[in-house]
Amino acid sequence: MSRLKFDINFRRGDYQLEASFAVADGLTLLIGPNGGGKSSLLRLLAGLEQPLSGQISIGGRKLLDTEQKINRPPSARNIGMLFQELALFPHLDVSGNVAFGLKARGVDASRRRQKVAAILARFEMSKYAGSQIRQLSQGERQKVALARALVTEPQLLLLDEPTAALDQESRWQFRRWLSEILRDWQIPMLMATHDPADTAYFRKRILLLEDGKIRQHGSYHQLLHAPTTPFVADFAGVNYLLGEICRPQGKLIFRSRGGSIFLAPFEKVREGQACLTVFPWDVSLYRERPAGSPRNQLYGKIQDVIILGDRVRITLVKADKLVAELSTRGYQALGEPRSGEMLWAVFKARESRIENLAVL
Amino acid sequence: MNNATTEKRFDTWLFTGFWVGSSLLLGGLLLLPILVLLLHPQPAELLSLLLSRQLLDALRVTLLTSTTSLLLIFLLGLPTAYAVSRFAGRYRFIIDFCLELPMAFPSLIAGIALLLAFGRRGLFGQLLLTWDIRIPFTPLAVILVHIFVLAPFFVRRAAVLFDQIDPQLEEAAQLLGASPFFTFCHVSLPLCHRALLAEAIMIFAQSIGMFGAVILFAGNLPGKTRTLTLAIYDAFESNPEQAFGLATLLLIGSSLLLLTGRLLLRSRRIVGNL
Repeated sequence: MSRLKFDINFRRGDYQLEASFAVADGLTLLIGPNGGGKSSLLRLLAGLEQPLSGQISIGGRKLLDTEQKINRPPSARNIGMLFQELALFPHLDVSGNVAFGLKARGVDASRRRQKVAAILARFEMSKYAGSQIRQLSQGERQKVALARALVTEPQLLLLDEPTAALDQESRWQFRRWLSEILRDWQIPMLMATHDPADTAYFRKRILLLEDGKIRQHGSYHQLLHAPTTPFVADFAGVNYLLGEICRPQGKLIFRSRGGSIFLAPFEKVREGQACLTVFPWDVSLYRERPAGSPRNQLYGKIQDVIILGDRVRITLVKADKLVAELSTRGYQALGEPRSGEMLWAVFKARESRIENLAVL
Repeated sequence: MNNATTEKRFDTWLFTGFWVGSSLLLGGLLLLPILVLLLHPQPAELLSLLLSRQLLDALRVTLLTSTTSLLLIFLLGLPTAYAVSRFAGRYRFIIDFCLELPMAFPSLIAGIALLLAFGRRGLFGQLLLTWDIRIPFTPLAVILVHIFVLAPFFVRRAAVLFDQIDPQLEEAAQLLGASPFFTFCHVSLPLCHRALLAEAIMIFAQSIGMFGAVILFAGNLPGKTRTLTLAIYDAFESNPEQAFGLATLLLIGSSLLLLTGRLLLRSRRIVGNL
């Protein structure tokens, strides 16, 4: 079932990338911190960078095999790529851009027109066929770039941060449109992103690339519930606090930079360094200091508010970051707080998950 | 306080006087001779000169040689410039130095070097003679001078244009299945076509003005190698009035060429990246 297979060893200066994986049909999200190697991996797959050694194949067709001395140039790989800066040809109009790949492959003019018209219609871009690129909005340009990449029927689609250049509003529209349109193509698609909202929206398979290595892979839920690195936790929007466990007078306390958290004393943890995972939906927010137990309360400033469809995600900062997620209705009941305002956060210790860290 | 203000005002005046004075002096130095040259001949005289045999012959030689050399410079220079821009890497410094050399030395030296290479007793000249080919004192010699002096200049400038193309555009083209040659013809060239056209005009204008190397290597044969510039030189000795008229005509022609080039480059971006 896995159509794209790769095993790549790449080095440039101090930077090293060693990645081996198999990607099935459909969308796979490639996440990781900036400088972690996402763009390098995409460029290596496309043939725009040369690895030290490795293999790449799509559906059994070898694109690269350094042992057998096979190395197809980018033009013979049949890979569609959506560049982060789109790389649309400024001297060609919309249909000229979309037709470029067909023309380069020697497709005759009438067939070319037919295919370009079909894909522009599918992308609801027909009325822009004769427009110059500079006249289009960023979102429209993105559609043209994607149409150009897909019209040649590639065997693999690479998307490099397709939502990064858009503003908040059009980002959601574009995600909805993209997930709908990509259903038509039964090919492996690898989308690099550093935007957590992308993973939350698409909820597809995820590949984490950090420090040039694949650190974790799996479904969105696997990553959400068992993050293996602080980056994944942060990315999935899970709170991942690092701190220390101590047990004064039969109590169990987790001390992090942001303050102390009292835990249920029966947790099976040793004293020493530990991490505490708190799901954002287990954090409740209040305008006024809540009555009752003063334990596990945190008074912090709102860093940002992200609206994820019918959910709202709020990040509070004190010394650590704490992410809370609530329904739109809950957000309205709070009076729609904005970044900069102060809120009280409360979470129950039994809804968190604590683990000792291996000796660091 | 008061003193400081006065001093500052004096400073400003001094500086204003400095740049106004310098630019007026330089401007006068440039414009005065041109104005005198433009106003000197009578329009009727110019018209009769325009239709004279000497001028038409020289014009024919000039247009023939300059157009041919322009075509050859483009044909050979464009791929070379592209190669310099893309593959020179750390040898770029040396290549740029070599390309600037012909601009730095007097064109007379170019003529001597060409004579030594292609002259009757020259290195290749002798070889060519065995096939009964003589280059010196033919229109081909004029063309060779143009190429020798102006092609490096063109390669240097065109390579800078190719440098400015966003490399992602070429990568995108290759991923879409385009061969490097298709990419060159359909992406790289169209992206700088305006700047290249302006470059062509400059080359053309400069080749018309070429003198020292031409007279040395190609001679001054009427109807064969006597270009407009050489015709002016020739007329200057026999009939100065005619030389002034010819110079005026050449000045007008060159100005028009330059103006066209300037207009082509008026859009702010030279290379058409988005």
